[in-house]
Amino acid sequence: MAIKIKNLKILFLREIKTKISFKPFSFLLNTVLISIIISSLLLALNWIFFKANWSVINSNLSLFAFGSFPSDEQWRPLLWLVILSFIALINIFGPKWKWLRKNLLIIWIGSVPVGIYLLKGGFGLIPVMSQNWGGLTLTIFITICSILFSLPLGILLALSRRSSLFMIQKFSSFYIDIMRSVPLIAVLFFGQLLIPLFLPYGLEIDRVWRAIIGFTLFVSAYIAEDIRGGLQSIPKTQLEAANSLGLNKYQITRFILIPQSLRVALPALTNQLIGLFQNTSLMSILGLMELIGIGRSILANPEYIGQYIEVYIWLATVYWILCTLMAYLSKQLEKEMSSNKGY
Amino acid sequence: METVLIAKNITKSFSKGINALNKVSFTLVKGKVLVIMGPSGSGKSTLIRTINGLETFDEGELNVLGIKIDSNIDERKIKKIRRRVGMVFQQFNLFPHLTILENITLAPINVQKRQQTEAEEFGMYLLSQMGIDSHAKKYPNQLSGGEQQRVAIVRALALKPELLLFDEPTSALDPERINEVLDAMRNLANQGMTMVVVTHEIDFAKEVSDKVLFLDNGKVIEISSPDIFFSNASHERSRKFLNQLDKN
Repeated sequence: MAIKIKNLKILFLREIKTKISFKPFSFLLNTVLISIIISSLLLALNWIFFKANWSVINSNLSLFAFGSFPSDEQWRPLLWLVILSFIALINIFGPKWKWLRKNLLIIWIGSVPVGIYLLKGGFGLIPVMSQNWGGLTLTIFITICSILFSLPLGILLALSRRSSLFMIQKFSSFYIDIMRSVPLIAVLFFGQLLIPLFLPYGLEIDRVWRAIIGFTLFVSAYIAEDIRGGLQSIPKTQLEAANSLGLNKYQITRFILIPQSLRVALPALTNQLIGLFQNTSLMSILGLMELIGIGRSILANPEYIGQYIEVYIWLATVYWILCTLMAYLSKQLEKEMSSNKGY
Repeated sequence: METVLIAKNITKSFSKGINALNKVSFTLVKGKVLVIMGPSGSGKSTLIRTINGLETFDEGELNVLGIKIDSNIDERKIKKIRRRVGMVFQQFNLFPHLTILENITLAPINVQKRQQTEAEEFGMYLLSQMGIDSHAKKYPNQLSGGEQQRVAIVRALALKPELLLFDEPTSALDPERINEVLDAMRNLANQGMTMVVVTHEIDFAKEVSDKVLFLDNGKVIEISSPDIFFSNASHERSRKFLNQLDKN
């Protein structure tokens, strides 16, 4: 035992020696870098704890969370957020029962109608107009709805891009290429300004749903490309085996192609999800009161003028926490899928 | 005697005028085992894959279980054939994202519309016959090559096929794993399964086959019973090939 510890010590020292070399120049460089890091850390901590005025955050927490949702009804978005975090917790720490794992996706999908009901009201709840939705609730709502709509649309586009029907194949390639060559903000402007012009008089889609449509149209093109990569990675022999068993085209797609390509595309899809989550902040330019939008409107209040560093650092922290959580969730999912299947 | 398989002058050519198959004809009677041998590149795999429509051909006619197909591709007829003919591949080709039992029951449930419990029971029965029922809940890559190939045989058997095709089923296996697969195939032959087998295993062919078809450059060199083929092959080319195999 003692020998082992000694060995470990030697190994550790050796590692330090190889990682940090003690030649004069690099020693100088290391000292300078380490002191820069430490002093900036001290400055930052000093600012966070002594100089910054966090009252702008403390007194507006409910605005950041729910926007201008009527205060008597704020338990509704809160309940939805609690449900979501509960599902996320089960996803990360929950038991590994197979039936539970298989139904988690359905539970995630089911959280959307629940969210719509809780936010919108009706059927026993007081209706709340979408102008009053805001803050973190709105950011998460737009993200989850957009990703849930664009995933099936993306799969459909990827499959039709490989279709043997000429028109369908050309149309989906055309669509994907167009969407990938247009900036997101242009698609969102299109959604906010042009969709109302195309709709018949009297029919109106409110701004939140126009945003979700815009994001769905854009992200589905990228998801389609990720899935196409997954589809291409499936060896031809898998198709031969499925064919020789007498499965038809639809069954091969559903049981063989889609599950295997999703597995391969999962890391790329996570990137899309995180990118989408961050891109919802663009909607603040178009007048939606999501996280950044709320931040901007709070800063416009004369009471809090000039406190933008506090507000933006707070917002960055919120985004950082949620993005890290999402990355962790998907890493978990990846591990689960590959732990026993090893491919 | 019911004839299961009749091939008449099957010809397939690739673009450069090379014939992959050149007027191949043979018949197979129910309950018998046909072994196809030949050097690599002789068209063995192409030939066996035409039987269930994985490969097309340019001329000739094929009658599988009474269903006639020719160079005109008729998807519906090919589907009908595939529902009654099982196939086992060199590389197993199991579905990596499904468990062993799911691999086996996928087609019975979705193609033959059988009840899940019934399909699972039958699958478990077949697995226990192969001595691998303890692996039912595992995934393919957790099994050895020999076990995977036996699963692939079970997957084909689960559809209760009237004809089984084997495309070099032992070529991708470690030498010490070959016998467990060959034993399974021997048992099938003894139970009266009609089989077409592409293989290089001489002992297996001698023991199990009722007919040996020797193919070279897409041409049938000879079709004879294994007794004659392995001891007294009529053709110079076959003797040369067998000598080569013996040396290895």
